[in-house]
Amino acid sequence: MTEPAFFFSEVNQRQSVFHRRAFVMGGLASLGLTALGARLAELQIFENSRYTTLSASNQYNFRLVPPPRGRILDRNGVELASNRPNFRLLLLKDEAKDPEATIAAAGTLIPISDDRRQELLREIDDGPRFVPVAIADDLSWEEFARINVRTPELPGLQADMNEARVYPFGGAFAHVIGYVSRVTSAELKAAGPTPDPLLLNPGFRIGKQGVEKSLDLQLRGKAGGQKVEVDSRGRVVHEDPAGDIKPVPGDEVVLTLDADIQNRALEVFGDESGAAVMMDCRSGDILCLVSAPSFDANRFVKGLTTVEYSALANYDHKPLFNKALTATYPPGSTFKTMVALAALEHGISRDTTHTCAGAWSWGGRVWHCDRAHGTLDMKGGIAQSCDIYFYQTALAIGPDAIAAVARKFGLGGLYDIGIPGQKPGLIPDTAYKRAAFPKDPVWHPGETPSMGIGQGYVNVNALQLCVMCSRLANGNRALNPRLIESIGGVVQPPGSRAPDLPFKPDNLAFIREAMAAVVTSGTAAGAAKLGLGPIMMAGKTGTAQAHTYAGGHGAHGAVGAWADRDHSWFIAFAPADDPRYAMSVLVEHGGFGAAAAAPRAREIMRVALLKDPQVRARIETPTPMPAMPTPPPGQLPEGAAPPPPTPLPGQTT
Amino acid sequence: MTASALTRPGERDRLSVKLGQIDWRLTGVITLIACAGGLMQYSIAGGHWQPWAAQHMILFAAFLLLMIVLAVTDLRVWFAVAYPTYVIGLVLLAAVMVVGHSSLGADRWLKIGPMHLQPSEIMKIGLVLALARFYHGLSAKEAQWSWKLLIPVAMIAAPVALVLKQPDLGTAILLAATGLVVIMLAGLSLRVIIAGLVAGLAATPVFIFLVLKGHLVKGYQAQRLLTFLHPETDPSGSGYHILQAKIALGSGGILGKGYGLGSQSQLNFLPEKQTDFIFATLAEEFGFVGCISILILYAAAIVIALRIASISHSHFGRLSAAGVTATFALYVLINGAMVMGLAPVVGVPMPLLSFGGTVMLTVMVAFGLVQSVRVHRYTEVSRGAGALI
Repeated sequence: MTEPAFFFSEVNQRQSVFHRRAFVMGGLASLGLTALGARLAELQIFENSRYTTLSASNQYNFRLVPPPRGRILDRNGVELASNRPNFRLLLLKDEAKDPEATIAAAGTLIPISDDRRQELLREIDDGPRFVPVAIADDLSWEEFARINVRTPELPGLQADMNEARVYPFGGAFAHVIGYVSRVTSAELKAAGPTPDPLLLNPGFRIGKQGVEKSLDLQLRGKAGGQKVEVDSRGRVVHEDPAGDIKPVPGDEVVLTLDADIQNRALEVFGDESGAAVMMDCRSGDILCLVSAPSFDANRFVKGLTTVEYSALANYDHKPLFNKALTATYPPGSTFKTMVALAALEHGISRDTTHTCAGAWSWGGRVWHCDRAHGTLDMKGGIAQSCDIYFYQTALAIGPDAIAAVARKFGLGGLYDIGIPGQKPGLIPDTAYKRAAFPKDPVWHPGETPSMGIGQGYVNVNALQLCVMCSRLANGNRALNPRLIESIGGVVQPPGSRAPDLPFKPDNLAFIREAMAAVVTSGTAAGAAKLGLGPIMMAGKTGTAQAHTYAGGHGAHGAVGAWADRDHSWFIAFAPADDPRYAMSVLVEHGGFGAAAAAPRAREIMRVALLKDPQVRARIETPTPMPAMPTPPPGQLPEGAAPPPPTPLPGQTT
Repeated sequence: MTASALTRPGERDRLSVKLGQIDWRLTGVITLIACAGGLMQYSIAGGHWQPWAAQHMILFAAFLLLMIVLAVTDLRVWFAVAYPTYVIGLVLLAAVMVVGHSSLGADRWLKIGPMHLQPSEIMKIGLVLALARFYHGLSAKEAQWSWKLLIPVAMIAAPVALVLKQPDLGTAILLAATGLVVIMLAGLSLRVIIAGLVAGLAATPVFIFLVLKGHLVKGYQAQRLLTFLHPETDPSGSGYHILQAKIALGSGGILGKGYGLGSQSQLNFLPEKQTDFIFATLAEEFGFVGCISILILYAAAIVIALRIASISHSHFGRLSAAGVTATFALYVLINGAMVMGLAPVVGVPMPLLSFGGTVMLTVMVAFGLVQSVRVHRYTEVSRGAGALI
């Protein structure tokens, strides 16, 4: 050291300032560490339980185990909707960093078309972040096994098995049961901020129509969970079977339908368009509810292609449309039963006669009938379905009296049968005219004759006509229809009783007689014979105008272009002497009621009757043989034919 | 050896004497912390020495030797290399900007041969040495308030600006704060300090506004800076780190989940568990008791180091020892606050506990300096270049 390094006083000052400040610095550092300690106490001691929970929810995860969807059965336990195993290949979004490469890798295992590739990429982009996407469904066992072996080396791909909905009868129940299909984003949004996690499960299908939609929640069941320990990337580290939560299977739904009747009903429609509804008159159970043509509900489960969908949507026979509930038509002559009953209740005698010359001038215009029926009483008017008889009968009692009776029989009404889509149609009266036509609020007498033959404003659906028919068949007991027999073993209330009908039993019996006459000697004499021995059907034909004939739109019956032809109706109950089954059949643009609807009603009715053991017992009871003269021995040649059976009455007409 | 023996000229320069003068309590505390770090590295590797624990302990042993070598290095050597170290650090920082190797979006590394060099670490020591050397030649009056103070301010501002540019917010804060601590310890007028504090408080809203607007730092940094206040709003995004760290801490409880049983770290929920968030791992497995024990060890290291600074006869020794101690204390406080959700996630590791050779090297060099100050506490340091060089 060559020179004094510092002035002593200055050193002292620098040193003492440093000492003071180093002391403060040490204090501040300790204070800081104490603050950290306090924070640790807060987190680790006072908020410990909260973070312990969070840590556990990090550590454990419940892998969703989807429940099997509830089966849907017919009244005899036949499966109408069930589940089948479906082997599929999933793309796990969070593991597949490059979806395109992953799909290409999947393409080495199973064929993937370019279209499908595009569709998948779109699906991957659109869907929620952590939800896997199904690359392929319905793999064969061989494909599934091959993929399962290879997936460990293909990150982002996973083969698994789930259950897919299957409808064994394809189209026959499509309108009643509906179908399940992919969850749309709108449905997801409608499910609220915390949707059922099942909705996000890949391959989950939600009910879109019919029973599948209205009972979706009951059929769906509750998802279970498989408790697994996961790491931060969600990979399973360890499974914990003791902590599993079992899925709750969906409820089984039993319908009142009978698969045999329903299948036969769709079958008899062939290429025709229409609807058939059958009820058990004694309980109100709907045995058959068919809309034809139908569609294969299984196709909707997989997802329709646009081509398939537009083919269904653009077909003029409207297969997607439920014609039994959603479509309303003028009832035509089937409505004459109501007009006749209203007239009887109004005091008009059943012996009142009108003469039909094929045309009738009234109110400044000519009213037509199919042919000149001659002089008819009321029974004849119904049996021959004479329009001119009912123009005049309707005029005699007015629209309000007719409407009151028709409504009591269930026309214009809606029924709680458990599936959506019913349209009420319309039973007009003067009050309706006042409310609906403010510019012309008066019911003109000229509007009454049309109503008398079930035209004009009158509009009903096939279910309503079936209800009407069952109430006619039942006498004074009025039943509401029931479609859902039980949900998850809980029996639904049988068709709740409507108030008893306030009509004279004698008058109702007369209408039934007249309907029996329709089949034995009236308009449907040829078409509605059951051929079941003593069991007869009673019914009423209807031929309803689809358009006014003016302007070249066809003529009465099956004339002209399909869309211009009349609708064909037939209502029936059987056995005529002890009604058990009531039905209504509509053949859209089928022409005359006796030509298109009546033979189909006969075929469907035969199935129901032949399944009924009591009815069978009646049919199979041998008719008493005519007393045979005891032939002298040796006179009857060996192998001689027995005498021909006496023909059943009316069979030859 | 008697006390009088040490007064003999040259006696203190003997190596055996110097080794005896090393503060073995401080060395013990440091070793305990580093061993705790190794213990945690072993645990989070699932009970394996690889990939972290073995390297951690081997590096620590090597750096402990280095510390001893540095401890017996004459303080006048430290004095002589102060400015060169600072200049080299500054040049390298500038070089990183040109040819930096990008790691995780930040240009911090300089590759020289097989070595990855992080110039900002050199600067942590270099800045303190340079400031101490500068103040060593300054009178108390000048240190209080004079135009000459513009020089240390510039000395701090230059590396801070370069580091911010990288961008490495954590290191920039560390450098700036360390520099300010040295200026204050050197005797900056109390009035100026108070005025500075008031001005700082007043500027805070403006600063926050600028951060929010993304003017000062990159977008992801702005997000990181502010989410610590409400990590729950973005639990899988920018709030993920802090939320998972809090869960790890909170679920540890008083005694912890047990060694090797921390689900947060073992199952990888905790990000950067072996580096910046090692403290959360320790907290999860050893609980409140373990955390407080480690904090006490850190406090002991800081207090011992400050005492060593106070007994030095040279102003350079005092300021440099206290300066690096400040760096060490700031590391601990910033990392602790960050892990506990009290401060933004800025990427500052827990010294000696976290895995990572660079930071450990810096800290051990710093303790080498502190030990050297103790060993050479009676050494007179001239205002010039130092007698040895």
